[in-house]
Amino acid sequence: MKKTLIAMALAALAGLAGATDLTDDGTLKLTGFYNLTGARVLSGKAQGSGTPWDYMQWKCPCTVQNWEYAAVYERSEGWQFNQESSVGFQLKKEFSPTLSATAQVLVRAHNPGHGLTPTLDWAYLTWQPSADSAWTFQAGQFRIPLYYYSDYLYIGYAYPWVRPAPDVYGWPIYAYQGANASYRTQLGQSDWAATFHMWAGGYTQHNDTYDTQIYYATPTHESWKSMVGGYVSANNGIFDVRAMLMHYKDSTWQDSPAGKVFFVEDQSTRIAGLSANVDYKNWLVKSELDRYEQVDAGKGLNNVYKYALVAVGYQYEAWTPMYTFSRYTTINEPIEARNTQYLSLRWDFRKNTALKVQYDVSKDKSHYSYPFFGDSRLLSVSLQGLF
Amino acid sequence: MDLQLLFTRRRLALLLAATLGGATLTARAELAIIVNPQNPATRMFPSQAAQFFLGGSVQFTPVEQPENSPLRAEFCKKVLEKSPAQVEAIWSKIVFTAKGKPPKEYKSSAEVKKAVADNVNAIGYIEKSAVDDTVKVVAIVP
Repeated sequence: MKKTLIAMALAALAGLAGATDLTDDGTLKLTGFYNLTGARVLSGKAQGSGTPWDYMQWKCPCTVQNWEYAAVYERSEGWQFNQESSVGFQLKKEFSPTLSATAQVLVRAHNPGHGLTPTLDWAYLTWQPSADSAWTFQAGQFRIPLYYYSDYLYIGYAYPWVRPAPDVYGWPIYAYQGANASYRTQLGQSDWAATFHMWAGGYTQHNDTYDTQIYYATPTHESWKSMVGGYVSANNGIFDVRAMLMHYKDSTWQDSPAGKVFFVEDQSTRIAGLSANVDYKNWLVKSELDRYEQVDAGKGLNNVYKYALVAVGYQYEAWTPMYTFSRYTTINEPIEARNTQYLSLRWDFRKNTALKVQYDVSKDKSHYSYPFFGDSRLLSVSLQGLF
Repeated sequence: MDLQLLFTRRRLALLLAATLGGATLTARAELAIIVNPQNPATRMFPSQAAQFFLGGSVQFTPVEQPENSPLRAEFCKKVLEKSPAQVEAIWSKIVFTAKGKPPKEYKSSAEVKKAVADNVNAIGYIEKSAVDDTVKVVAIVP
């Protein structure tokens, strides 16, 4: 933790300098971002009772704010800065105006089983037929561009909240190894620009944190194979709309002395997302509707998650206050569901640096027979920036 | 810009202008959005031009003024209609999610003009008074 804080302090200092050219010709660049996030659970209850309870390894009242790395804040811990704080470094080498290689690593204060070992979030080659081509082709490892904020969950400076609504951004696999193609175009003589993006690949994560720590308490592995996805987005500077669809084959299993025990094996699964945002004069509106479907009547599978988010904000000079509502629910009993309301304030007090404060009130609507994460009120602060 | 308006609305600006040798007056100059003379585009709405500087479209290659230039601040406000922090936020999303690279920055309007004159696909902006026949104006922003 100490080392992380030092790294972040260095990053913040580097923020004064901006992107760093590592070679004289400017073809090797180091850039990055950081999130120094602290939060405190103010109160919480489960199934109508405020009596403290345990869920998995956590002492509750508590709240999960990041599903991928199981960042959970516990009331008994007071202020915690060691759950979501992170610093990311991106190194990009341009071999020519049309060919480049990029790697992005993140050091996370909380990365179960890996300490402060950096994770490789992105590593890819980019090629374009010509410098100004509408086409871009990439191969390597990427974050999956599922929902609107999925591929930049950790670039805090790029969005108004301390973190995008955790109700909407929870699943086991966030990356893929494979290839993608993009086509970008201006729509006729209008001020609308559109992007068409397709990707294909797969990813396997052994002992993944989401399954193992949040749901099964036993080392659990998950693999998303034969991923094929695409999105279309259009933007005219005021409106920004996006539609996404991805299909893949899901396997989730545990090891036993007798071999692999599968919960699902090569199960056809579909994820879809729609989002619409408005940025008009000082007003900001953000909305999305997303859906995860793993349905197979023959096997009795009806795993459907429905997610939604709506937010209204107003930018006044360096201040951006925002109200947000989010929810998710499954449809099969016992239902897992949650609603959350957020009040957030972003203050762009210095170049490339924002300070955010956020107050969340979250209601657990799950029908589990045992107390799950429960209701919670959470206060968060975060210093987020770029360098 | 007529001086009376400046005098009544921007007395402080005039004072600064006098002190800084006209730097503030330059900041309020009309902007010309320029492309290469061989570019078939003849005119453009500022909101269309904004797309190139916000990563929305890659049809033209944006060429930027230096980071702290008053002209860039004017362009940000009048054409991009965003705060500098919002523009940085938009580019941080693009840069860290494999979606592109930010516009190359040049040191002065003279360099921006030269970069546009040298690249048939480039788009930039300079003071209207700096325009010459090496570039083509597609929009004037008062």
